Amino acid sequence: MKAADFIYHRATGVAEALRYMEDYDGEARLLAGGQSLMPMLNMRLWRPAALIDINALSELAEVTAQGEETHLGALVRHATLETSPLIAARLPLLATMVRFIGDHQIRRRGTIGGSLVQGDPASEMPLGCLVLGAEINAVGPAGARMIAIEDFYDGAYATALEADELLTEIRFAVHPPHFAFHELCRRHNDFAVLSVAATGHFSADGGWHGLRIGLGGVNDRPVLAEASMALLEGSSLSDADIAAAGEAALGAIDPPSDIRGSAEYRAHLVPRYIAKALRDLRLSAQG
Amino acid sequence: MSSNEHSISLRVNGREVSAEAPARMHAADFLRHRLGLTGTHVGCEQGVCGMCTILLDGEAVKSCLLLAMQLEGADVRTVESLAEDDRLSDLQAAFKKRHALQCGFCTPGFLMLATGLKSSGRKFSRDEIRGELSGVLCRCTGYDGIVRAVEDYLGDGEAVG
Ligand SMILES: Cc1cc2nc3c(=O)[nH]c(=O)nc-3n(C[C@H](O)[C@H](O)[C@H](O)COP(=O)(O)OP(=O)(O)OC[C@H]3O[C@@H](n4cnc5c(N)ncnc54)[C@H](O)[C@@H]3O)c2cc1C
Ligand code: FES
Ligand code: FES
Repeated sequence: MKAADFIYHRATGVAEALRYMEDYDGEARLLAGGQSLMPMLNMRLWRPAALIDINALSELAEVTAQGEETHLGALVRHATLETSPLIAARLPLLATMVRFIGDHQIRRRGTIGGSLVQGDPASEMPLGCLVLGAEINAVGPAGARMIAIEDFYDGAYATALEADELLTEIRFAVHPPHFAFHELCRRHNDFAVLSVAATGHFSADGGWHGLRIGLGGVNDRPVLAEASMALLEGSSLSDADIAAAGEAALGAIDPPSDIRGSAEYRAHLVPRYIAKALRDLRLSAQG
Repeated sequence: MSSNEHSISLRVNGREVSAEAPARMHAADFLRHRLGLTGTHVGCEQGVCGMCTILLDGEAVKSCLLLAMQLEGADVRTVESLAEDDRLSDLQAAFKKRHALQCGFCTPGFLMLATGLKSSGRKFSRDEIRGELSGVLCRCTGYDGIVRAVEDYLGDGEAVG
């Protein structure tokens, strides 16, 4: 199908984009990579009055190392995360996860900001940002504000952003030394049935500390398996620890039944995929 | 809505062109219906099938997910850029040799995706080639010939452009 009619604006700066959004009073949409927006327009699921193209905002396309922090502009493309040596060194979890997004062409265009705002519950970047404890910078008519990723989602495809706010940047603290990621896909390049990302610190006493375990596709938004994380604090990630953590995670999920799998199937998989990720994590500290 | 038609100037297959398009027209329809370049195919119009893959400033992208308006000032390459008169490019010759097409509807998508992979300058294993090619669907061949043809081309073919 073809998109319904709309007015097209090419913004040349953040201030101009914000002005357009105010002009249309919530009836306009920002156009970043278009890899979620354009299918919705072509299927006429969305009929915005205007599109504000932000692809010319090169100030939002930068990857910067700021001391210990790494900052990603909203317009950083999936393909950049895939190939940038800076990302490989400073945000290896994201570099690993991004390869599971869509296909080659989608990753050339899609952006991290667009992924976060789209907020698909099975999407990789929201999960990666949650596990890494990212902070999201947004600007609107009232100025800039930081939103912790834990507070960014109100539900599936719903964020804490106001209709006239623009996501500008995502900030990451130092990446933990160990990480692992697993996901199940029905088809190469489809959205995940479920996904698990984990990070942690392994100390000389043989124990794991500050473990973070995030789950995608098993709730209306990515979630942390907090009970499992608490259970594993200081443990050696023995097989028994891992099994207990997998069971404990079931309290954090409320899986959907959809075209990719039933709720029961997803619940069945959660402990198994947590085990895959945690065994990888354990292995990564043995090399 | 003729009041919402805009003139778009771009470079296509090395030539400067300009044409009008409504704001809502996607780039694949623009290339086909306004510029007459019907080698770019349209399947799903929702970013899944990859038939509409073109090179935008050297990168393989799906033109049904781009607006014609976004081509302003861009450098676009379509499948029409590959053959010279009757002479197939190395990539096309590899497709012929490896029996990498049957009905041919998907072929322009694979050819432009492979051209994008080549221009990235990266090396790919056969497994990686399969992964990268997953952005175009083929209902006929079973993919094996396509993977082999692209492997031939990325391995020792001449860079095209
Ligand atoms: C076939 C197919 C398979 C896919 N598979 C996956 C997958 O496996 N995993 C996955 O995660 N994604 C997948 N995607 C989606 C892809 O990752 C998109 O790139 C991403 O969801 C949206 O990013 P975008 O830059 O294209 O945003 P757009 O499509 O341009 O925008 C998406 C939404 O975000 C808003 N927006 C964009 N940027 C900003 C900003 N800076 N501030 C405020 N609002 C903004 C837009 O207004 C719109 O509402 C797939 C897409 C397709 C077509
Ligand atoms: S027509 Fe563009 S991806 Fe199917
Ligand atoms: S050759 Fe027919 S779809 Fe690929």
